[in-house]
Amino acid sequence: MSEETNTQSKQSPSGNRLSKVRGLSDRAIAWIFISPTILILLAINIFPLIWTVYLSFTNYRVNRPNKEVEFVGLRNYERILSDSDIWITMQATAHFLIWTIILQVVIGFTLAYLINKKFKGNDLWTTIIVLPMMLSPAVVGNFWTFLYQPQIGLFNYVVGFVSGADPSSFSMIGDVALAPWSIVIVDTWMWTPFVMLICLAGLRSIPDSIYEAAECDRASKWRQFWTITIPMVLPFLMLAVLFRGIENFKMFDLVVQLTGGGPGSITELTSINLKREAFEKWRTGYASAYAVILFVSIFGIASIYVKALNKVKSR
Amino acid sequence: MSEVILDQVSKSFSDTAALDKVSMIIPDESFVVLLGPSGAGKTTTLRMVSGLDKPDSGSIVIEGVTVTDHTPAQRNVAMVFQQYSLYPHLTVRENLEFPLKSPLLNTAKKDIGEKVSAVAELLQISHKLDNKVTELSGGEMQRVSIGRALVRTPNIFLMDEPLSSLDAKLRADLRIELKRIQSDSGATLLYVTHDQIEAMTMATHVGVLDKGKLVQFGPPREIYENPVSIYAASRLGQPRINVLPADIFGSAPGGAKFIGLRPEQIVQGRGESATVRRVEHLGDQTRLHLLFNKHEIITVTDAHTELKSGDELRIQPKDAFFFDDQGIRLI
Repeated sequence: MSEETNTQSKQSPSGNRLSKVRGLSDRAIAWIFISPTILILLAINIFPLIWTVYLSFTNYRVNRPNKEVEFVGLRNYERILSDSDIWITMQATAHFLIWTIILQVVIGFTLAYLINKKFKGNDLWTTIIVLPMMLSPAVVGNFWTFLYQPQIGLFNYVVGFVSGADPSSFSMIGDVALAPWSIVIVDTWMWTPFVMLICLAGLRSIPDSIYEAAECDRASKWRQFWTITIPMVLPFLMLAVLFRGIENFKMFDLVVQLTGGGPGSITELTSINLKREAFEKWRTGYASAYAVILFVSIFGIASIYVKALNKVKSR
Repeated sequence: MSEVILDQVSKSFSDTAALDKVSMIIPDESFVVLLGPSGAGKTTTLRMVSGLDKPDSGSIVIEGVTVTDHTPAQRNVAMVFQQYSLYPHLTVRENLEFPLKSPLLNTAKKDIGEKVSAVAELLQISHKLDNKVTELSGGEMQRVSIGRALVRTPNIFLMDEPLSSLDAKLRADLRIELKRIQSDSGATLLYVTHDQIEAMTMATHVGVLDKGKLVQFGPPREIYENPVSIYAASRLGQPRINVLPADIFGSAPGGAKFIGLRPEQIVQGRGESATVRRVEHLGDQTRLHLLFNKHEIITVTDAHTELKSGDELRIQPKDAFFFDDQGIRLI
């Protein structure tokens, strides 16, 4: 280490002199460079987090700034955890999360597997498949409301054409039974390409020579798939699940544009519900406690998951 | 174990011909070594026999069955890859078990365990059986790769420079071990190398490849003592055969352009005078670098020679090889 510094100072005597003139050590310069980032992080991430935790123990309302703030202890948390409406919201979120992940992983992996076969024009297909992911969620939400239109919507028309049912006999967004699936379909349409790209990276990381060895070892294609492809892509798949899981737990824009949480509150996911509590009902203290609960659960689940992921990786 | 026949096998990759009408019979229970520099078509030949690549023309017969269109699994061949190609997510044991677990073999669990430990013992990797293969050294990985082939009883073993990444001692040990395994079990083996010591010590037959053509095929002694060309003669023998203008020692047969002299074809102490330029003591032998008529000759002499640089030494050719202007052997 000291040798390195020696050669460095020999190579750049001018730089050395400069830092001596200013009286700054390397470490001090490093701090100067990273301090703006740290300050911004503290200001926009860490401080609001701590402030939220503080607010969650009060009955503060942001639309009544002059009212005296009362410390209420854990009462906000009690009320949230015993509120049956919130559990319905949680169920809606779970339904959305589980089905989008299952569908996106299955379809995404299948697409990646097919695209990875060497055929003519697979680059072009990759580009086409990836397109939905590049659109704005608000735009996607908006135009799917047209596709879902019972009278003129393309989605209803295609479903009607395939199944023989009358296209205007059902409404994906308006129907209580169908609405939860309407958001699953759109999210899957939009984000499956993302899962496909990650799976493709995983598939491309497996060298051909390993399949050649397996072929010489008389492993069938089926066995190669289950004993080589799947185990070697698994860390990538798990990473995709983590990304999609975190993203969809905080899903907001797409669903607000598409259903607005309706009909009723059937598709009101937690983040939409939270926004309503905080910025429509202005129950700031209550909403803060809600946010803290969500944060802790995402953080907890993600940490456990990352541990599992590392275990799979090091296997 | 079985006989393998290649008949007029050709293969091109885009515009370059990797193999050009290669025909060869790999006899049952033989140890065939393919020699040649990189690009000569050694590995391509191996991949043709394995079924990983299909020939453009020609046919391949294993044990009397034409297998040209068969998959590697149908051919029942075991291959050792140069770049190991182990299953990185599996342990050493799981790697060795992998071929035995093929439904085509239907091996009993007990037999799998026994075979794996026997092979691990043989290759000195028993203590590593439960390690992940990615934790092994290069030499250990290569031994696992050899082991993965040895647990099976295939029609033919195909090995692509399996010893090239091992250290000298292990290489010498495994050379003897592989030869012993082959002669004990009567396995047929097709082996690619550019190490002539491996070729001389292990092979029952050597095939010399040059730019996709099989130029000579036969027992190693025959190729050493009776090479068809300068190219084939240069593949075997250390120090290499000396190639000089044909008339350097006087008369030469008609059409001869070059004379080829191996160390044992140079008689010392008689004939014409040469100057010693360098003496290399290798322990068991001593190499002499001679200057003769402005040409350098490398030969071997007594290990305890008194000769030193600058001395004069008389030399004379004996039973020399003569080659024409294309390098083809005349006499």
